[in-house]
Amino acid sequence: MVFRTIKQFYKILRMEFEEIYKTYWDRIFRLCMGFVNDYAIAQDLAQETFVIVWQKLDTFRNESSIGTWIFRIASNNCLRQIEKDKRFLKSDLPINLTEEKQQSLEPQIQFLYKCIAELPETERIIISLELEDIKQAEIAKIVGLSEANTRVKIHRIKEKLTQKFKENGPQ
Amino acid sequence: MDHNNNIDFKDLWKKQTVSQPNIEDLLARLKQFKKAGLRNLWITNILLFATCVFIVSVWFYYQPEFISTKIGIVLAILAMVIYLGFYNRLASTYKNIDATQTNQEYLQKLILIKRKQQFMQSTLLSLYFVLLGVGICFYLYEYTLKMTILWAVFTYGITLLWMGFNWFYIRPKQIKKQQSKIDELIAKFEDVNNQLQS
Repeated sequence: MVFRTIKQFYKILRMEFEEIYKTYWDRIFRLCMGFVNDYAIAQDLAQETFVIVWQKLDTFRNESSIGTWIFRIASNNCLRQIEKDKRFLKSDLPINLTEEKQQSLEPQIQFLYKCIAELPETERIIISLELEDIKQAEIAKIVGLSEANTRVKIHRIKEKLTQKFKENGPQ
Repeated sequence: MDHNNNIDFKDLWKKQTVSQPNIEDLLARLKQFKKAGLRNLWITNILLFATCVFIVSVWFYYQPEFISTKIGIVLAILAMVIYLGFYNRLASTYKNIDATQTNQEYLQKLILIKRKQQFMQSTLLSLYFVLLGVGICFYLYEYTLKMTILWAVFTYGITLLWMGFNWFYIRPKQIKKQQSKIDELIAKFEDVNNQLQS
């Protein structure tokens, strides 16, 4: 009896997870891609995010929206990547591994992601969330800033990007 | 949307090619993920625990008569237990850091953990060496009494030389190597955290 209940609980959880996975994979991947601008690392970071989501799903209470919850996990995981990054740089891995995949992309898209990945870390997260159409109030809740502060930051980052596109952007 | 320059960043952003991996692959990765983090923790625990068991078995097997020998054994074990206890607690805080907090809270947690790690690899490591060294000196006393003066001086000489080598060469080298890495990381995390304050 208990065993059946557990099994059922797991089944529901698994269905819920699959739903989340389908809905959020693309969005989380783009957030990670904006952070590192490297296809393989972004894929890794997105996978790690969903591993954490799966592990923590049963602790999720509807205090915040599921989106806010997942984006918090994803952006925190990106921040933690900074630590791995240090190790990564020291071991001489071939850098051109991931370059090929990106060549087919339109230069403008490539340039946008490159510009974002060059911003300070928290700005990368903020602008990525903004470009994902997340409400500014939600972004404030994910990052831990006030709404007013978030609005100002978004405005400034957009200005920076526009400037970069004007100066060096591909036509 | 971005009317000032006609660049639609949102549109560009969403055109990034994305490939969604199979969900089964993801769940398979889960197992790998769990294993990798625990390996170092297990190795350190097993090694230090085995050493403790060995030392305790020496106590039972040879039945030392002097209190100094027993104090020596207790100090050596204490050194390892303190180090291990701290190491395990830090590893578990690190593993269980709540990823669902805001970025700001999360960054502060990361900085805190790195500071504890810094303490462990400097102050605690020194304490470990001192306790272990004093412990060994106490432990040797009973057995050197049974030797001739020359051999006793030789035994203590060699032991102290080895400890000096550890204290003045190995320890600073170890601390310096790891410290610069951690300092760099703390500085980086603090820099990221400050981005949110400005």
